[in-house]
Amino acid sequence: MPSSTATPAFTPKSSERALEAAVELRGVSKRFYYYEHRTKTLREWFIRRILRRPLNGGRAEFTLRNFDLRVERGESVALIGSNGSGKSTALRLIAGIYGASSGTIRTHGRLTAVIELGAGFHPELTGADNVALYAAVLGLGRKELAARYDEIVDFAETRDFMDTPLKYYSSGMEARLAFAVAVCLQPDILLLDEVLAVGDQVFRDRCQARLRAFHNSGGTLILVSHEMDQIRELCSRAVWLERGSLRMDGDVDRVLAAYRAHNSLDLNRGTP
Amino acid sequence: MSAVDQVVRVAGSAGAPSRLSQVWRYRELLRSMIIRNLKVKYQRSLLGFVWTLINPLLTVAILVLVFSHVVRIPLEHYWAFVLSGYFVWNCMLQTLNTGTYIFAEHSRLTRSVAFPSEILVFGAVGSRLLEFLAEIALIMVVLAAFHHFRVPPSFALLPVLVVIQVLLAIGLALPIATLSVFYYDVQHALPIALTTLFYLSPVFYPVQMVPEAVRPYYLVNPLAGLLTLYHEILYHGRMPSLAFLSGVLAMALVVYAIGYAVFNRYASVYAEIV
Repeated sequence: MPSSTATPAFTPKSSERALEAAVELRGVSKRFYYYEHRTKTLREWFIRRILRRPLNGGRAEFTLRNFDLRVERGESVALIGSNGSGKSTALRLIAGIYGASSGTIRTHGRLTAVIELGAGFHPELTGADNVALYAAVLGLGRKELAARYDEIVDFAETRDFMDTPLKYYSSGMEARLAFAVAVCLQPDILLLDEVLAVGDQVFRDRCQARLRAFHNSGGTLILVSHEMDQIRELCSRAVWLERGSLRMDGDVDRVLAAYRAHNSLDLNRGTP
Repeated sequence: MSAVDQVVRVAGSAGAPSRLSQVWRYRELLRSMIIRNLKVKYQRSLLGFVWTLINPLLTVAILVLVFSHVVRIPLEHYWAFVLSGYFVWNCMLQTLNTGTYIFAEHSRLTRSVAFPSEILVFGAVGSRLLEFLAEIALIMVVLAAFHHFRVPPSFALLPVLVVIQVLLAIGLALPIATLSVFYYDVQHALPIALTTLFYLSPVFYPVQMVPEAVRPYYLVNPLAGLLTLYHEILYHGRMPSLAFLSGVLAMALVVYAIGYAVFNRYASVYAEIV
């Protein structure tokens, strides 16, 4: 399975390669247009086509503004911040789901992003079929999947249900299966967006153990989460985003402490 | 383990030529999508493929009844004529209809995984095409046995027509799917457009009945060219002229290129909108 991707702008020499960051964002901004009025008149439509910019119908808003981030290989980084701070957008930009409005994004290594668990799962298909489909969605070849199929099923603990249609699964089972596929892919870079809160406590512990093993074996982990304990457990560095800009970046304990202090301050201010 | 890959994305670079190589990279996903579409459609159905045949066969029966007994179209074995074109039309109709909801149906997927989203359209075209190949194989057997009483050598040309059909299906379904994301009008307008197209395409009448003076304009419709080719090789059992064949192929390529360009223009933003 060839996994080289689109148009490398330059090929680094082998000496430089060791210094290459796993993920590098330079001056990245993301601006969304909210299409509030989809029913445009034809006249508006033509004007928009010709002027190539949205009329008042599309409200533009920056979700991420001039954001720089460099994540070295083997690092584990948590993105934190309140809702709407741009964490998930940053993750989606790194994953290539969204295109940046400006700036450069560079990733080095095979990347798997788990933004929504089990996106692409189909309720009518069996567990086995869904594993195959989800693995393909995440870019895994058939042979690679065959080599890891048992590992996935064992990790998810759904062996007895692999020939059962997914619609008869409990939501916990479904999430376990999806998570098992994602972590068994063995990417170089793993992006997780608040997907660790699945299954029961036992399964969560196993997920954490699995992620620690991934990190110890040199994998790069970028994680969006609101659970501070989990972040402290898995990450050595935290990046705090606020309204689309970098607020603080550094050692996980230091950043979390500052973030917590800031939030309790906000809370105190909010109560009369 | 895979080779190290380096990805650099600069804002504003769409990278249109690299898209097809991306699709190739995700061929496993395309295969899975096609299998999924067929499995979901057939796994709970006892009669399965028979249902796929019954609907168009009923329409064929009605067309044959009306146009050989009420309005008489002077063709020998008129049923064979309708049979050799209607399934092509039906395949195209269903593929284009799928286009109106395919991206909305997979919005969770496009919002959470980076993959070339045209794969969804390719998958829909692909699974419908596999059904079509089964249909057309049956039709060829019937035509050889009860219409030609032999296997005409022109049947060998079928793969070329299938290629043209795939180019047209993708070239039309891609922009329909893309525009459906932005404008819900598409799903209302498409049935009207398709009904019009049905009468403006040689489905139940031969292209020879179209007045010679307007025929060049008539054949601007790429479906008219495709259906004419099917009639030539399946119903008449004769080789079409090379000029006509390459003309229709060229037109299909143009439709494909335009369709892909429309899709490319919007591909980078629609994941945010769906």
